[in-house]
Amino acid sequence: MQPAALPKSVVALVVAMALCVPALAHHGWSWTEDGFFELEGIVEAVYIGNPHATLDVDVDGEIWRVELAPPSRTRNAGVTEDTVKVGDEVTAIGNRSRDETEPRMKAVRIIVGSQTYDVYPNRAPTD
Amino acid sequence: MAELLSGIEQLAPVEALKASFWVYPLVNAAHIAAIGTLFACVMLMDFAALGVHRRLASAGAVQLLRPVALSAFGVAVATGLLLFSVRATEYAVNPAFRLKLLLIVLAGLNFLLFTRTDPPPRTTATVSLVLWCCVLLAGRFIGFL
Repeated sequence: MQPAALPKSVVALVVAMALCVPALAHHGWSWTEDGFFELEGIVEAVYIGNPHATLDVDVDGEIWRVELAPPSRTRNAGVTEDTVKVGDEVTAIGNRSRDETEPRMKAVRIIVGSQTYDVYPNRAPTD
Repeated sequence: MAELLSGIEQLAPVEALKASFWVYPLVNAAHIAAIGTLFACVMLMDFAALGVHRRLASAGAVQLLRPVALSAFGVAVATGLLLFSVRATEYAVNPAFRLKLLLIVLAGLNFLLFTRTDPPPRTTATVSLVLWCCVLLAGRFIGFL
């Protein structure tokens, strides 16, 4: 006996799913622009935890989300709740979202005061 | 609501989960394992109802698969709550997360319909397949929005 064919709707759905997956992504770097981007502002919130650490940075009244690395990697780079505090002036260097209306970037390096922290040393700009 | 969500984030075990090196990825892995189990069982039961494979058509298949699916759903909910807890405030407003919850509710209602008719109507089985695929996709997109 031949197995009955799957309804066409199911087949169509699976095909549609396969086609629409490679879209925006905050995991990894695919959602960011290639060139380096620099952001300066005041630290509004610090989160060092799973799934990854983030800073919220106030840039002339606009709050930017600066994504860092998973917590262990972020701490190993020296970024902790003790070294980066709310109210600190921060410079974040990395890659911004390809969507230019979105105030979001992924940092490879942050500078607080005179201290430089390379969260992704292998991606940090060579200077 | 905002207080409840930030309250969840500040619970002692949640703070530990935020900082953990091993536990968070393990919870994450358990969540994926539970979803995989649930998804496989759901697919097989729906295929049985659709008559896709003769051997699945026996009543024994569903009898075996349903309790496994329900247990896997329980594990997925428990591990999902843990993953949610570390950034409850953020996930609560994440459009993919909200859509996922809505889709799970719809899949639940569809399941009730599925169990109340014997044999289950083919449309219910098809709707189940479509809904659970969408749950999977919406879940995967939470980290990308």
